Amino acid sequence: MMKVKDTPVAGLRAAANAVSKSGRLPLRAMFANDERSLNGNYVLYLLFEAEDGGFSLLTSRIDARQPLEFPSLTTLLPAAAWYEREIHDLFGLKPTGHPDLQPLVLHEPWPADCFPLRKDFTAAPEVGGSISVKHPVAVHGEGVFEVPVGPIHAGIIEPGHFRFSQAGENVIRLDPTLFYTHRGIEKSLEGLPVERAIYRIERTCGVCSVSHALSFSQAAEAIAGTEVPLRAQYLRVLLAELERLYNHIGDVGNICAGVGFAVGASQAARQKETLMRFNEELTGNRFLRGMIVPGGVTTDIGGELIRHASSLINALLPDFKDVVEIMESNAGFIDRCRQTGVLPRQVAADLAVVGPAARASGIDADFRRDHPYAVYDQLEFKVPVRRHGDVEDRLWLRVSEVRESCELIRQALAFLASQKGECRTELTFPAAGGSSFGWSESARGANIHWLMLDANRRIYRYAIRSASYPNWPAVALAAPGNIIPDFPLINKSFELCYACLDR
Amino acid sequence: MLQTAFGLFLQTVLLIGLAPLVQGLVKKIKARLQNRIGPPLLQSYYEIAKDLRKQAVISQHASWFTRYAPYIVWSCIVTAGLIVPSFFADSPLGFAGDVLMVIYLFGTARIFTALAALDSGSAFGGMGSSREMAIGAIIEPALLLAVLGVCLAGKTTVLSQLALQVAGQSWDFIDPAYGLAVLAMLIVVMAETGRIPVDNPDTHLELTMIHEAMLLEYSGRYLGLMMWAAEVKQLVVLNLFISLFFPWGIAGGLAEAGLAVSLLLYLLKLALLAATLAVVETLYAKVRLFKVPPLLSSSMALSVLVIILRIVM
Repeated sequence: MMKVKDTPVAGLRAAANAVSKSGRLPLRAMFANDERSLNGNYVLYLLFEAEDGGFSLLTSRIDARQPLEFPSLTTLLPAAAWYEREIHDLFGLKPTGHPDLQPLVLHEPWPADCFPLRKDFTAAPEVGGSISVKHPVAVHGEGVFEVPVGPIHAGIIEPGHFRFSQAGENVIRLDPTLFYTHRGIEKSLEGLPVERAIYRIERTCGVCSVSHALSFSQAAEAIAGTEVPLRAQYLRVLLAELERLYNHIGDVGNICAGVGFAVGASQAARQKETLMRFNEELTGNRFLRGMIVPGGVTTDIGGELIRHASSLINALLPDFKDVVEIMESNAGFIDRCRQTGVLPRQVAADLAVVGPAARASGIDADFRRDHPYAVYDQLEFKVPVRRHGDVEDRLWLRVSEVRESCELIRQALAFLASQKGECRTELTFPAAGGSSFGWSESARGANIHWLMLDANRRIYRYAIRSASYPNWPAVALAAPGNIIPDFPLINKSFELCYACLDR
Repeated sequence: MLQTAFGLFLQTVLLIGLAPLVQGLVKKIKARLQNRIGPPLLQSYYEIAKDLRKQAVISQHASWFTRYAPYIVWSCIVTAGLIVPSFFADSPLGFAGDVLMVIYLFGTARIFTALAALDSGSAFGGMGSSREMAIGAIIEPALLLAVLGVCLAGKTTVLSQLALQVAGQSWDFIDPAYGLAVLAMLIVVMAETGRIPVDNPDTHLELTMIHEAMLLEYSGRYLGLMMWAAEVKQLVVLNLFISLFFPWGIAGGLAEAGLAVSLLLYLLKLALLAATLAVVETLYAKVRLFKVPPLLSSSMALSVLVIILRIVM
């Protein structure tokens, strides 16, 4: 399934070019690991899609006694740009030849030569003073000016600084600065036993809780080599689809709010609230937390709740269809969404964009179908794909996915109502430790996690490649060419997570 | 003399007292149309009272202009409101100016708001004022043309005379030109009150704002005054709409009989107009910024048709 290839660091570019078939196969994740205490090296891990439908993993060792640098892949694989900047910030490994090697994760006044993900970094340094982010003027010319927005916004949203270069109302260039509230979750997990790590991983982000917990659990189960009971697999599908459902319906409402279309916004808000209250009834948590753990699911769902879930889904579909019809028949609303914030297919492919943003731009990729986990390969569902890559296509794509999610939930409920069984097993990890990937398709795309256990069966390194990570640079490229009052709408159509970056 | 002073007092109190209620009513109806409960009807009063009590924080880059502008804007709008008749035709400052005066007082208030927004040098203020002035340059002629259609029929620009003439004609006044003029004026009313489809008064998205973007640097009593002025302006625009197109039942002066009926009718008309604003705001999404000029141009085209009809017929 996963082909592993190791390459000397000097030959990294050639090897990456070969593994990605000249950039045709997307780079799904790239991260570094401080393995000096194990073998005296820093190691780079690059995860690519493989031609046979699986993955290929490319590793490359950087000897700690040699210069701490590696050849940058960004000019070859644009998707590597952010990963390399992050590795530079957090490990101090320099990607030589990177075209834009500015700090990504660490803002001033973070001290130089202080690299949080190295093992010899134990406590955060005193960081005084105010955050200052240096912005060289990006675009020069007559009538061109800059509009700085954020990091504090008027709405209750997460922090992000957006710097627009404009001529009149037209956006020429957008520079986002994110990572304002980095929590060091990956670092804080090091040394923890697997069963305790779930609490932090689940809280990487509010609205992708299920997906992060699922990715982590599957990585842990892969190391242990344990098969999770069938009933737990179906419960996981149910939870993952419920998460997608409330996210997508909320996002549809947010797109309406972005153009001041009050009917769509308030109706979708009502439906989202109904779903989240049901989540609480089902699991005791509005974000469906505390359910998925390594080894299965903590609580079985049965009898009355399953009947309730069925009737909820049966009532939701026609209700949602009504709202969609109102949206479709409003010419003013459609006019705002059409041709706005176009993400061309080639750009989406170059940046290895995932999830609805990729599928709306004509990239037919969905981890549930392409790299099936849980019991997705035994369930029937379609993966909708659209071509234009504008706000309208991202909107209708979510609408189609809502229908598919409801179908999946029905299938899962039918199984859960008819079959009984265990929903949790114990995991025993091999004494030598080990490492594995785990992934799941969230409402924003694939969340890919990598877990490495040391010989004490504690976490040696944990890497989270969230769905928002490859998609944020795409937002910056979808905005130019539009007018600045349309940016909130474009941003909402991607509906990315800031917390998923600040892990 | 005494009667003029009383009229002045009454109309001022009515304007500044009723304006927040109209705002509250629009918000309430909008909320109900969206299946929401909505804020209390009197919420706008609470907000203005709260803001007026609070200390203002002013950007250190701002000059005296930022501090004076709210008073100038508020005064301009209230003065304009005293020229437009409400429930009695003989408006207190009617002797001082006609409908053109109202339009130019609006223009003055607009310029001061825009300049104050530029004063502190924030990006949003600049964006808001550039949009406001660009759109204002089209709203003004559109309002002028819409009003001109009525003025041509009445052969005067004095609002009290216009209102009484239209009211005197009763139902005979309704003809195709009147229908077109109402439509033209309605578009201008939506634009002048900063509502969807032109502007969104309820949004928190700074990048999409027009009027609100200009107020972002304001706080405390200055913000209170600016918000209050915006609400009064909305009432004045509605008053203008009522006196030009639906003045039926309006009393001539304060001494005349039927004042109570006139007041009741006036409040009823205001409520109906507030409901209309709320329905339009609920039915439509905000148009793309660059489609605002075509929208206002269509209002102007209607007004030109009205003027041609008035001259030909």
